[in-house]
Amino acid sequence: MSDATVLLEVRGLGRRFEPRAGGGQAMFAIRDLSFDVRDGELLTIVGPSGSGKSTLLNLIAQIDAPTEGEIRFRGEAIAGPNMRALRPGWDRQFGYVTQDDTLLPWRTLLDNVLFPLRVQGRLSAHTRERAADLMRAVGLERFERYYPHELSGGMRKRAALIRTLVYDPPVILMDEPFGALDAQTRTQLQTDLLTLWSLGRKTIVFVTHDIAEAIALGDRALVFTRAPARVQSEHRIPIARPRDVRNIYLLDGFAETYQRIRKELS
Amino acid sequence: MIAAARVALGIAALALWQAAHWAIGAEWISGPADVVRRLLEITASGELARHTLATLTEAAFGFLLGGGAGILLPFALRLSPRLTAALDPFFAAAMGVPKLALAPLLILWFGIGLVSKVVFVGAVVFFFLFFNVLAGVRSIDPRLASAVRVLGAREWTVTREIAWHTALPYVFAGLKVALPRAISAAVVGEFIAADRGLGYYINNARAMADPVGLFTGVAVVTALVLVIDAGLERVQAQSLAWRPLSRDVAV
Repeated sequence: MSDATVLLEVRGLGRRFEPRAGGGQAMFAIRDLSFDVRDGELLTIVGPSGSGKSTLLNLIAQIDAPTEGEIRFRGEAIAGPNMRALRPGWDRQFGYVTQDDTLLPWRTLLDNVLFPLRVQGRLSAHTRERAADLMRAVGLERFERYYPHELSGGMRKRAALIRTLVYDPPVILMDEPFGALDAQTRTQLQTDLLTLWSLGRKTIVFVTHDIAEAIALGDRALVFTRAPARVQSEHRIPIARPRDVRNIYLLDGFAETYQRIRKELS
Repeated sequence: MIAAARVALGIAALALWQAAHWAIGAEWISGPADVVRRLLEITASGELARHTLATLTEAAFGFLLGGGAGILLPFALRLSPRLTAALDPFFAAAMGVPKLALAPLLILWFGIGLVSKVVFVGAVVFFFLFFNVLAGVRSIDPRLASAVRVLGAREWTVTREIAWHTALPYVFAGLKVALPRAISAAVVGEFIAADRGLGYYINNARAMADPVGLFTGVAVVTALVLVIDAGLERVQAQSLAWRPLSRDVAV
């Protein structure tokens, strides 16, 4: 693996949270965390809940600053000591699909999807067309005029994903985006994600606590320890693409990878 | 169904009023018929329009001054939490001053004309909106703010998009209280010193021992408040149409 293909480098990263007033002690959510993300890969991160996965994505997305260590993007330091000022999204280089619903409740679905383009001053016939294509690709075209609260959880997740894809950031961070959904919707969204990814080949960092999901989606899976999180192990996923997420359990290489990761997490 | 119940309640209230008029006597409680007759008289003479316009003008300018500041200031303070924290006790102290007690002082400073009432209405209205809107601006969901920043939004967009929409229900809650108070404050200002306005008309009726005039004046002020409130409800229903709540209420 040559250095040229490394897009993101995380080096000795740590984030300490101060105790709340009235008790407790300062705690590191992650500490001494190092790994690389390669250009165009779909990296999954799996770990027990509360293992600092969301903290890590917040640090990469620049909505939070590390206590120690460094993050480099295309070789340039974007977070680290003496860099207190945050630039959320690093000038639209990082898209972030969070665990919670962050659609704007007062805007219709279409307006939500177009929102990044509007904010970035890139709203044009061409980009509107792209938004419409993406809405169609995930079956939302008939719901453009609805407000988020009028739609199902699965539809909102799709919209949140599309809202990020529409402005085409080179890196997309995803924090258990399909966590709170029923199994069927989940499988559908995983399939959608893989389809969209295979078309655009973005770099995706996908955090989950579900081992099967980490295997079904990833080129590579990192297993995190409990907090303070570090990388416990790294697994190349030997399953060929395109993958049939619906029958992922039956594919060659799934069972043994699953067993290996599960043993480490227990 | 609801409309029928309202009409029935309205008739009942009128009947009660009429009964009180008969039972207690015209020198204490004027009858509805007398009030209607007086209304027609002062409408014909142009008195009603003159006084109503005077009160509305004071309330409107005062509202623009105090309401405008009360709505905009919290958004400006959002940009500096430290300044807000520093100013907090002063706002609380300023709110503690009983505004009604200020009216004579304001008249001493600004005279008996329009300006003293505008300042008085402004002072009353400001606090109702300011504290409401401040609470609204503070209730911003930080996750929404982070999300739109990641999408490339600058602080101005966060204010206009997130802070504004989050605070809007609070703005309306403040307006709901502040708009009737704006009218009341103008009327109270006119009680103290004025040569026109509905407060002047009411106070004048008291001086002339004219209960019909008193009742008519109060009825006009009440009607004014009801009309303004109905207008506000309409604007609110349109502005907050996205909320699941307002749909139920609008039925």
